[in-house]
Amino acid sequence: MHYESPVRNPLILGDKSYTDITNDIAKPVESKAPRSWWIAFSIAFIMFLWGVGCIAYTIGTGIGVWGLNKTVDWAWDITNFVWWVGIGHAGTLISAVLLLFRQKWRMAINRSAEAMTIFSVIQAGLFPLIHMGRIWMAYWVMPIPNQYGSLWVNFNSPLLWDVFAISTYLTVSTVFWYVGLIPDFAMIRDRAINPVQKHVYKILSFGWGGQAKHWQRFEEVSLVLAGLATPLVLSVHTIVSFDFATSVIPGWHTTIFPPYFVAGAIFSGFAMVQTLLLIVRKIFKMEDYINIEHIEMMNIVIMVTGSIVGVAYITELVIAWYSGVEYEQYAFLNRATGPYWWAYWSMMTCNVFSPQFMWSKKLRTNLVFTFVISIVVNIGMWFERFVIIVTSIHRDYLPSSWSMFSPTFVDIGIYVGTIGFFFVLFLLYARTFPVIAQAELKTILKSSGENFKKHHNDHGAH
Amino acid sequence: MTENNKYWKGIEDQSNPELTEKLAQNEFSNEVSSADFLGNDDAVQTETSRRDFLKFMGFSTAAATLAACEAPIVESIPYVVKPDSLTPGMPSYYATSMFDGSDFASVLIKTREGRPIKVEPNGDAPFNGATNARAQASVLSLYDGARLRSPKVNGEATSWSAALSAAKGMISASSVLISGTVLSPSAFAAIEKLGLRHVSVDAVSQSARLDVYDSFAGKRGLPMIRLEKAQTVFAVGADFLGDWSGQNFAAAYASRRKPGKGMLKHIQAEAGLSISGSNADTRMKVRVSEYEAVLATVYNAVAASKGFATVNAPKLRADIASSVNAAAKELIASGEGALVLNGLNSKVAERLALAINLALGAKAFDTTTFVYTAKGDDKAYAQLVKDIKAGSVDTLVTLDVNPAYGLKELNLEGVKLVSIADREDESASQAAVALPLSHYLESWSDYVPADGQYTVGQPTISPLFDSKSAVEILNGLAGGTESAVELVKASAAAMASEKAWNALLHDGFAQSEIAEIAMNGAMNGEMIDVSGINVAKPSTGLEFYTYTKAGMGSGANANNPWTYELPDPITRLSWDNYLVMSAADAVEYGVEIEAQSNGAMNGTTVNITVDGKSLENVPVWIQPGQTQGTIGLAIGFGRQNVGKVGNGIGVNAFELLPSSSALSTKVSVAATEVEHGFASVQLAHTMMGRKIVNEISLPTFLTESPETWNEKPTFETHKGLMSAFEANLWDDHDHETSHMWNMSIDLNSCTGCGACVVACSLENNVPVVGKEEVRKHRDMHWLRIDRYYSSDMTKEVAEEEGVSAIEKYAKMEVPSESPSVVFQPVMCQHCNHAPCETVCPVGATVHSREGLNHMAYNRCIGTRYCANNCPYKVRRFNWFNYKGNEQFADVNPSQDDYGRMVLNPDVTVRARGVIEKCSMCIQRIQIGKLEAKKDGRILNDGEFTTACAQACGSNAIVFGDVNNPKSEVSHLKQEGRAYHLLEEVGTQPSVFYQTKVRNRA
Amino acid sequence: MGHTKHNPIVRALFNDDDIVLSAVKDLRSNGYNVSEVYSPFPIHGLDEAMGLKRTRLSTAAFFYGLTGLFFAAWMTYYTMILDWPQNIGGKPNATWFLNMPSFIPVVFELTVFFAAHLMCWSYFAVNGLYPGAKAQNPDPRTTDDHFLMEVELEGEEEDLNAKLQALGALEISKIEA
Repeated sequence: MHYESPVRNPLILGDKSYTDITNDIAKPVESKAPRSWWIAFSIAFIMFLWGVGCIAYTIGTGIGVWGLNKTVDWAWDITNFVWWVGIGHAGTLISAVLLLFRQKWRMAINRSAEAMTIFSVIQAGLFPLIHMGRIWMAYWVMPIPNQYGSLWVNFNSPLLWDVFAISTYLTVSTVFWYVGLIPDFAMIRDRAINPVQKHVYKILSFGWGGQAKHWQRFEEVSLVLAGLATPLVLSVHTIVSFDFATSVIPGWHTTIFPPYFVAGAIFSGFAMVQTLLLIVRKIFKMEDYINIEHIEMMNIVIMVTGSIVGVAYITELVIAWYSGVEYEQYAFLNRATGPYWWAYWSMMTCNVFSPQFMWSKKLRTNLVFTFVISIVVNIGMWFERFVIIVTSIHRDYLPSSWSMFSPTFVDIGIYVGTIGFFFVLFLLYARTFPVIAQAELKTILKSSGENFKKHHNDHGAH
Repeated sequence: MTENNKYWKGIEDQSNPELTEKLAQNEFSNEVSSADFLGNDDAVQTETSRRDFLKFMGFSTAAATLAACEAPIVESIPYVVKPDSLTPGMPSYYATSMFDGSDFASVLIKTREGRPIKVEPNGDAPFNGATNARAQASVLSLYDGARLRSPKVNGEATSWSAALSAAKGMISASSVLISGTVLSPSAFAAIEKLGLRHVSVDAVSQSARLDVYDSFAGKRGLPMIRLEKAQTVFAVGADFLGDWSGQNFAAAYASRRKPGKGMLKHIQAEAGLSISGSNADTRMKVRVSEYEAVLATVYNAVAASKGFATVNAPKLRADIASSVNAAAKELIASGEGALVLNGLNSKVAERLALAINLALGAKAFDTTTFVYTAKGDDKAYAQLVKDIKAGSVDTLVTLDVNPAYGLKELNLEGVKLVSIADREDESASQAAVALPLSHYLESWSDYVPADGQYTVGQPTISPLFDSKSAVEILNGLAGGTESAVELVKASAAAMASEKAWNALLHDGFAQSEIAEIAMNGAMNGEMIDVSGINVAKPSTGLEFYTYTKAGMGSGANANNPWTYELPDPITRLSWDNYLVMSAADAVEYGVEIEAQSNGAMNGTTVNITVDGKSLENVPVWIQPGQTQGTIGLAIGFGRQNVGKVGNGIGVNAFELLPSSSALSTKVSVAATEVEHGFASVQLAHTMMGRKIVNEISLPTFLTESPETWNEKPTFETHKGLMSAFEANLWDDHDHETSHMWNMSIDLNSCTGCGACVVACSLENNVPVVGKEEVRKHRDMHWLRIDRYYSSDMTKEVAEEEGVSAIEKYAKMEVPSESPSVVFQPVMCQHCNHAPCETVCPVGATVHSREGLNHMAYNRCIGTRYCANNCPYKVRRFNWFNYKGNEQFADVNPSQDDYGRMVLNPDVTVRARGVIEKCSMCIQRIQIGKLEAKKDGRILNDGEFTTACAQACGSNAIVFGDVNNPKSEVSHLKQEGRAYHLLEEVGTQPSVFYQTKVRNRA
Repeated sequence: MGHTKHNPIVRALFNDDDIVLSAVKDLRSNGYNVSEVYSPFPIHGLDEAMGLKRTRLSTAAFFYGLTGLFFAAWMTYYTMILDWPQNIGGKPNATWFLNMPSFIPVVFELTVFFAAHLMCWSYFAVNGLYPGAKAQNPDPRTTDDHFLMEVELEGEEEDLNAKLQALGALEISKIEA
């Protein structure tokens, strides 16, 4: 049994036993929902309904109800798509990459992070669908044998790569998540009193028993899935960036995009995880598991990735200048000084400058400040995608086609709707799922639990 | 469409309709139910035997069956016996003539299954065998649902006989017939027969100019201009490439503007930026009131050089004097090659122009042949106005004129109206008798557009409504009973005896020798007695004039969606008319224009007063190149009673200025709070220093090699320097075997007139989307004509003055106050490395072996990725269901039962949510190939061409197969001027452009 | 896992992972066969202690991945090269190899897709996990903080019980096989 160096702060605070962990984590599922939950849920649900209405209107009338035009054929739709996908990535990275790196601090947050991944990828997946002029033909993007004779999809198209990337990503993260959930469902099943609840969790837990062999396979599968998920998550945002990088439009046609998008994804994703965790730990009183240590770790990641993104922005500008390409140079000059200068500078402020505060330990351990920054970063990342998409195409090669974009209430409604949808799902999850991977957590109780550490340090090794 | 035939439901119906009707009412005529009938014994005793019962049953059943079968509503009748001349699916062409009061064109009409669907130029015709935007659009006016459908007396629909007798009853010796210009000998015969005083008046009056030639040559026409003989043309306010004398100069101008030695020099002096001004080599901004002074100055210079008497010309403003004198020198230098054109409806101006041309012996100025497309007589008209005021006119018969809209001076309360009109317009709606006039595609007619030219117009479809042709109506009013065809035949026999009737119909025209006319006076400068001329002093205040737009013209097609949807070539605004004002004046009058967050343009409106008459909230457009102190307003808009498309669009310029007066100097303008939304298809107006339209000067073209002025982009590769076509990541697909369709667009010939845009819309069923959508930059045109102004800020200037990049680009966006203008038609470039094809997830757009970029509407799912990735932004998305969505019910022809008939059956009407774009008229390519295949021969160059190329009067667009070494396009591709748009992007387009060459140092 | 030998089973309940681990080692060194241990979380080193073989799921995953890779390669070849070759943006499609760079993303995604999903299904299958399956652990406490050990009874029951007691078992029960 290995013990952690006393230098490391405990990851589990308070005098906890295995049962305590069980109780703490099962509590939200077994107890009645607090008022705060109901308030949050109803707000989210109303937003969700609004979104549904706007989508119905779009599908019924035509994409014309959005603010697009002959020059700007993508705006909020794809901006939101990329934004949501980016947010999704943090979940996988936290659970997969940190698992590979054996970062124990992930255990408290990976469950929620993965949930966030799945829910945000669902939002993301919505946009490529509804942005289609003929959504009822959406299944045509699948290589389905058909009676039209030889009629297949175009595997040269980045948009088709997206179809495969996003669907793979969504399904794989879902099974990854579920495999981890099964033992925890079993835990709730075994202590459930209410017969209905017992039955439901019986179904969900697939009859898990926790045999030694099963645990062995469990760990193997988690490890392999993590190994698969890591390149997958990188590939997904790389492919999303191909949508732009492989085009010919100045400001899109940029080879730096894959790494730059991935960094951006981690950046926004961690920010979103941060936002959610701060809410979850407050509402469900899980300060002992999701403690300042975790928050700080996350903040450091945000700071680093934020700086990487900043470097990417500057690189873009330098390359544009260095390329000597007329259109390229103008595209970037126009971003910073053109009609959409405000979008560009909001992006710069939110993404590059704001995370720099995290250099100070005082600030990065301050919960309120952290919360604010996490929101700011997500706003910034939304602007990043808007800047890339709209400011690039609204003034491309031929000035005769230059145009502008401004959203209609439908554009806004759909975006707000997805935020509502996301929180509806997340809040339901928080009420019914074990929000922390308790089985995993129990394995580190002895090594990283506060009381055990203290005990260990006082009495030396057994 | 069809008369209500009576369809019998069977022989019974025919023989005994009452019975079948009764039976239809109650199926079982016999009340007795079979059950108790059989059960009832004494029933059997009755005379109703079993046999009877069966009879009843049988009959009831039969009756029921009869009642059941309903006659279907017949909307189309299949051919029982197919007309020999007609093969379903194959077009038939008819030669005819189009004249709408100001535009005259000899055209070929393409009909499908008996429906005229396309107007095409009649290339063989010696006079105006070309089509402008209006002529192209005119076919849709035929299918205008707002047309008058039957004769009306006091607003009540009635029969022709009744209406005619009612009209005859109103007409007396003191009645007057007022019409637009009439070119038809047969109509004149009828008018003579009618014996009424006839006054003709034009929407754009040339009366004063006509008077000059009336007294000079005894002919009320405008001299034929032989532009091909000109060397230097100096046009003063004459937009001869737009609307001027009714003569179509596109071809002649283009042929003389071919770069090289002896290229025509074009100098333009005008107030507002016109199409001609945009194409000119040198353009001077002159006030309308200075036109005469300018001509006088030039005349004096010429006269001085010839030793003729001069006139006393007012001194010109310093800033134009020098350029006018320079122009005069050039004219003198080119002697007989000189040509001066006057656009001002003023005797003085025209006499000066004539004097100059004669003094220089201008060959291009043919004073022996005259053009008659404008015949309006303002003096006669003024007299009529007086007489009506005096009450000495009882009835006014209007022939295709709309006094209530266009002739505000006429007091219509004083007279009874008999309106011969195609719709219940502002006048016809208040007429006692309204007689529906057929569209030219439904009528027999004949024309003498110019000396020695005789053309006939034949119907291409039987009248859609109960209407008649002008000649037939006039003849009817005169008590004649002949049919139109008889009347036209008769006059044809007289006019073109040498040509057989059938040949005449086939060709559409006949030419005859022009009778020598006796000029009063010797053919030299002296004979124009200039002593009488006293040139008006230019005004200094604000002055107002009216002009015509390329789309609307004089307003004949005022209910035609294409007329409005076509963006103005200069302002790039559609669905509007507005005051054009210089930037300096805009500042003075507090007028502003700003782009909204969605790219739409909003501008200040003004209250304007001209000669005491005023209009409120008139939008103002700030126009580069507009002479300071002048404001212009296009005519033809502001209709109240023309139909759902045109009603209430724009303002009526005739409210302010009658067509008879060229300008007014009593003008006041005051900005209002009301904002106006423009429908602008172009937001940026300069090229931002990019090589989009490659333009050079003639000397450069003549002296330097193409490499210097038409440099092709090259790339450093490991294999050395490579062109954009050689630098390839892979081996290309084979484009050498079979056809390779390419298109050449000569930016030197393109005048920007917009005929191709309308032709494209017709040919390809391009939807009309209306003002609100155009405003949001959602115009659907497959082919657009980009217009760029030069800017005072250039890279060179920035270099010298050390301007920062940010400031440089900011200033580059601002057009110059006196810009040089270029036009560039842009459609799908059919790139052989097409960015759009690669990105389509479902392969809805792929490349053909013949170098075309195909678009499979059925496969498109509408991700719009292709449109984003198109460097030329030529792909158009169907944002709405244009053919069903009620938002477009008023504007889109395909939502109208009649409008739908103009759709080209060879081209799909696109569904909502799919991308569409130029297909290089693949339907034409296909037919061409099939024809050749049927004949088992190789396809020849020029057998067919695209709609745009066909409509282009100046032949700027050439389409063909570059794999055919004999084809014109393959030669053009070798030209030194040829270049590809955005070649450096590596898209390898199939469309290429020819460098523009301006004839100036 | 299930032992074929029909010996009665003795179940011992523990409340600490370290104790269970040492108990297993001890019992096995004394020739007992620890047939199963139910635990609320994975105990590191337990599988070695119980002498369990390494699982072959990862190997399976590798071959599942290969399947995906070849399927994707075949699909792109069949659709883009063999069945419906088209000139798309001038890109070469004479052979699969020429067009291959465009296919890499899809091929990669499908590889991952097959590997991940098929492996998980295998995992569920071999563990007998499926929706609504009855709980496999005999004592519900083993998902909370208790650990249940199943030892095959060999020799005297008392000896084993005593041993287990000594090793720190809280409850001991015997079930007949």
